[in-house]
Amino acid sequence: MSSNASDKREKMRGGPVRGGPLQGVRVVELTKVWAGPYAGKLFSFLGAEVIRIESEGSLDVTRTYGVADINKAPGFQAVNPQKLSVQIDMKTKEGIDLILDLVSKADILIENLRPGAVRRLGLGYDKVKAVKPDIIYTSMGMYGSEGPLSYQTGYAPCFAALGGLSSLVGYEGGAPAGMNLRYADSTFGAIAANASIVALMHRRRTGVGQFIDVSAVECMASMIGDTVMDYSLNGVIHESDGNRHSDMAPHGVYPCAGGEWITLAVSSDVAWQALTVAMEQPELAVNPKFVTLAQRNTNADELDRLLSTWTATRDAAELTTLLQARGIAAGKSQSSVDMISDEHLWLRDFYHEVTNSDGSTRPILGPGWKMSRGAQINDGAPRLGEHNAYVFGDILGLSAEEQTRLAAAGITR
Amino acid sequence: MSALTGIKVLELAEGVAGEYCGKLLADFGAEIIKVEKPGSGSPTRQLGPFGAGDKSDGERSGLFAYLNTNKHSVTLDLATADGIATLDRLLAHVDVLIDDHNIEWLKNVGVDLEVIEQKQPKLIVCSITPFGLAPPDQRKYAEDLTVFQSSGWGYHTPSGADDSSKPPLKGAGRFLASYEAGIEASLCIVSSLYEREASTLGRVIEISKQEVLASRIDYVLGQMIAGDMDVSTSRTQFDLAGPSGFFTCADGYSYMWISAPSHWEALRQLLGNPEWMNSFPARWLELECTPERVKQCRHHVGEWLKTQNKHEAAAAAQKLGLTLVAVNNAKDLIESEQFQFRQFFTEVKHPVLGAALYPTAPYKLSETPPSISVPAPLLGQHTTKYLAKSGGVQ
Repeated sequence: MSSNASDKREKMRGGPVRGGPLQGVRVVELTKVWAGPYAGKLFSFLGAEVIRIESEGSLDVTRTYGVADINKAPGFQAVNPQKLSVQIDMKTKEGIDLILDLVSKADILIENLRPGAVRRLGLGYDKVKAVKPDIIYTSMGMYGSEGPLSYQTGYAPCFAALGGLSSLVGYEGGAPAGMNLRYADSTFGAIAANASIVALMHRRRTGVGQFIDVSAVECMASMIGDTVMDYSLNGVIHESDGNRHSDMAPHGVYPCAGGEWITLAVSSDVAWQALTVAMEQPELAVNPKFVTLAQRNTNADELDRLLSTWTATRDAAELTTLLQARGIAAGKSQSSVDMISDEHLWLRDFYHEVTNSDGSTRPILGPGWKMSRGAQINDGAPRLGEHNAYVFGDILGLSAEEQTRLAAAGITR
Repeated sequence: MSALTGIKVLELAEGVAGEYCGKLLADFGAEIIKVEKPGSGSPTRQLGPFGAGDKSDGERSGLFAYLNTNKHSVTLDLATADGIATLDRLLAHVDVLIDDHNIEWLKNVGVDLEVIEQKQPKLIVCSITPFGLAPPDQRKYAEDLTVFQSSGWGYHTPSGADDSSKPPLKGAGRFLASYEAGIEASLCIVSSLYEREASTLGRVIEISKQEVLASRIDYVLGQMIAGDMDVSTSRTQFDLAGPSGFFTCADGYSYMWISAPSHWEALRQLLGNPEWMNSFPARWLELECTPERVKQCRHHVGEWLKTQNKHEAAAAAQKLGLTLVAVNNAKDLIESEQFQFRQFFTEVKHPVLGAALYPTAPYKLSETPPSISVPAPLLGQHTTKYLAKSGGVQ
């Protein structure tokens, strides 16, 4: 365990021990873009010490894309708070040896480089296991690390398309429109983090580490497991169906005044009756087209037209208040403006500030949990190589002279 | 032994999020005692897809069967004092409690989150709710759709919503918000179990589905909240410019991601160096991505892809380094050679539903692979196992 080193770092930076369930756990990240870094962020938010290995020669695109200062890249800052950054050039033998040395003092290694890249670098599971027999080695790939299609690559929307999600999202009778194109990476990262911690628990009880192979496409298929079950049981292939739901009607998103949208989901006949009262249209309550769920589903198009007519001239927030008061699940469909001004999220400290190394502050978001004895989340994302001295000196025990030599030789650029 | 062998979990949760969380733990060997209402059982028993036969017996839900593999079902009437007393005794024997009710309901069945840490210091309690344990009045009633639409994902689904007269969409399937929350809950519970090994202390965890979903868009929302990315009421505010998107194929649909010069060169090879590509600047995707070029590119790629089969076109493109993939449906998944190689689907024999292929977990673990040993329980199947005649705990 690395609790001593972690305590030392806290002392070094003058902050309190962060606490949290993963206090004392050290994670090394060989990651790119979003999915791998997202997993690392979850570890750090749970209290782990997460060290991202970076190099000037192969900077992550989120450090460089459309930005002037790689230490103030907004995308990188959003996904990497509370992590450490160390510079090691993975294209050199000495760099690889440094990484192996670091990993031998870590608990988890997580990677999402291109298929086969870690093996070519000499950082495959066998190599790492040789220096750290009980390492938890988590490998993330679009299709997983083995198999006939494991050579294929893709970005988040490819995962969603391959995993069966995109074909389900679209307007009735139309072509697939798909999830928002940002969807998939973070879910993939969360699932990889979950599997890694399960392995960590196993190691604590048995002393045995292991190799974990996570497939992004399978992660996506898991998000529609019940839909897949309909094919397994009944041979049914679902297609995009707008906002329809087999167990609820009405179930949709309806236009409001000022270009806003309200969403509502009626989960019972009682809620439907309450909705007709809210609409002040008592005749609907007894209309045989809409009395039961089956009837409302059969006549869902007509139902949606009636509702849209009712909502179209009304204010989304006022409607929400009216419907919630009657026990109906309803709420505004929130734009990006609504998201950053969501009072509930501010009051719950979902949005909160962290401090950057230059003393400036920056709001970040998350995590999706609150917990007793949780980890403090204080620091912004690291500058490139911000923690070189800590990693090389305190963790690896390299002398100042050796660190100077490595820097001069470009190994730690 | 598997990773969570010997860990006992009491599942009071009745929705998809809590049941999925329990499943994730159960498939790693945790012992799940699922408390169900006598008579009707978990509400998910009443939700489809249903297998053949009379569904009124509550044993034909494919949803319930999928979410509750490897679990034990105990019926307990929590509307009675006896039921509550039995629950209290059961709670004393478990490591983890998973719940998805509101705070008043919990208090009424004897679980007071204010004092649980004093009363049972080793217990890990995980609550999963749409907006946290103290939702504002405007968010008291919620379903996965309304949560999804509250998280930023909904308003921006689908990408490229050029016709703003059409509503934002629900996302894939019925339970996306719940599955995401279930994963987060499992992560927090197992992390807490890990720490408890040393500290012997439990923990109270509160999962908000809205916050889980909003945190999943951290790359975008994190920039917006810091003022580094514009916010607006545009439905395309999360989008990226470029020709990436869906295309019609001869036998379905495909999705092409194209953003780098290497993709463009791979596309050129794939299409046999067509004349139209020569009028485009070499690095147009990064530097000169005009709407007109996007339109032209999509037109030409679309003309070609509509004559191709989705899997063959994707394989050819991938070999050249172009990120083109098939848009799969459930049948494609089960028939996928990659899924078969990794044995993602496994046959489970359920006493009422019969044998069927179930999705397993999306990760392979070399030492403690998750597995489905027994099918979802019949209602009350394990009541006598766990509750002695006296109402005590075995």
